[in-house]
Amino acid sequence: MNVARSLGYGLGGGLVVAGIAGLVVDARLTDPLGWALWFGGLIVAHDGVLVPLVLLTGVATGRLREPSPVRAGLTVAAVLSFLALPMVAGIGRRADNPSLLPLDYGRNLLVVLGLIALVTALTVIALRLRESRRRG
Amino acid sequence: MKKRVETLMRGLPGRFASGLHSERVAARLGLWLGISFTVAFATGLFSHFMQHPPGRLTWPSRPVGLYRVTQGLHVIGGLATIPLLFAKLWTVYPRLWQWPPFRSLSHAVERALVLVLVGASLFQSTTGLLNVSYAYLWPFSFPAAHYWTAYLLYGALVIHVVNEWAKVRRQLWTREEVEPREAVTTRRRFLGTVAAASGLTVLFTVGETYVPLSGFALLAPRDPHTGPQGLPVNKSAAAAGVTAVIHDPGYRLTLTGAVRTPLSLAYDDLLRLPQHTVRLPIACVEGWSTEAEWSGIRLRDLAALAGVAPDAVLTVESLERGGGYRSSEVRPPHWNDPLTLLALRIDGAPLAPDHGFPVRLIAPNRPGALQTKWVSKVVAA
Repeated sequence: MNVARSLGYGLGGGLVVAGIAGLVVDARLTDPLGWALWFGGLIVAHDGVLVPLVLLTGVATGRLREPSPVRAGLTVAAVLSFLALPMVAGIGRRADNPSLLPLDYGRNLLVVLGLIALVTALTVIALRLRESRRRG
Repeated sequence: MKKRVETLMRGLPGRFASGLHSERVAARLGLWLGISFTVAFATGLFSHFMQHPPGRLTWPSRPVGLYRVTQGLHVIGGLATIPLLFAKLWTVYPRLWQWPPFRSLSHAVERALVLVLVGASLFQSTTGLLNVSYAYLWPFSFPAAHYWTAYLLYGALVIHVVNEWAKVRRQLWTREEVEPREAVTTRRRFLGTVAAASGLTVLFTVGETYVPLSGFALLAPRDPHTGPQGLPVNKSAAAAGVTAVIHDPGYRLTLTGAVRTPLSLAYDDLLRLPQHTVRLPIACVEGWSTEAEWSGIRLRDLAALAGVAPDAVLTVESLERGGGYRSSEVRPPHWNDPLTLLALRIDGAPLAPDHGFPVRLIAPNRPGALQTKWVSKVVAA
């Protein structure tokens, strides 16, 4: 093992140990059980639910004549929906502070998704036109 | 039966048909993610250090907008990392099902650290996103959990980079092999989609801190123009429980501690002292920021009036009874800066209760949480 490798393992291992030690020592604030549930829960939700859904969507869109732009559009739309979801749900709204989450996020997300759908549709049409011209 | 399961498991990774589950795509996305996580870790540590400086350490009060930029990078950059993370995890997903799961002890350790890396990455990005959306759905303190998990993430990342560096080098620098054109197009299209998702994430959020783009901030948790006096608020006077006490006619601002002459000034006395106007940003740890014109008394003028030593540390205390941010320390570089004010006005009008009436601290290059509101006491030490 060369020096750079050992240094890397030393540094990385040290940071991991520091993180675990901090989580344990600061237990009053970090609530290790609650932390572990979130940590593990997110892995399970991602690997067990989210990715399988994405894979199924990938298979389903494979039946289309132009899968790539549709897949790209759905990917971008899904990411921006994920980002907007907590704001659309309005979980953080507080009556005493209207400057928190001040926008109509449901409407804004629809605008964004509409734009993505429009660009996707235009791309599909352009690809088909190009294809039929090539054939014709 | 056992044999059939094993045959099934051995065959599973091969069933992921897309050519995008490749080392080359993983190397490219891994490089982008490594850079993003490094920026997030560095800016996060910077913010932590500013809020909890160890010992007598100080940080400079200039450049005025430094914290605004580093925290904007942390939050907006962090949001833009989410598409990269999802894409990277999708790319390497078949490896989750490799069979046998562990070939040796060192392979088991390596996979355990990858699990830590994946878990910590999902934890940091999800809790970060929820936190800037004010959705506190957890039993822990977000700053503490986010801070310590960052070490876990970055440590596991360093080890992962050491293990995978040879592959990244081979894929991105030294490989000389002609690929079919179709494969190149497919990869570019995929990476372009991921870049578009990150780019649109930035476009639709960055206006909460970069005001010229505020018109595009459709999915930002804040609008830099919305709030009392056109400025966002984090904690309202009602939430701080100070709505009555801030209008007490017996209000006094006191300066005590290590001073030659203790001061006790009524609101009208403050108005009679030399007033200064500065244009400063208020930059929240949650990533939003906006600029305003603040007027009031220079903190250093007040300190000079009381005879405070130039290397003293000032503690500014709020009328708020409790809460983690009821007081803040102002170290010498900040209180000696002529831009640091005990502000009485925003854009010429008295502070709104939610902005800290009667008096609030405003200083350059400083997290918003430390710009203490409803100030009634300054203690020199």
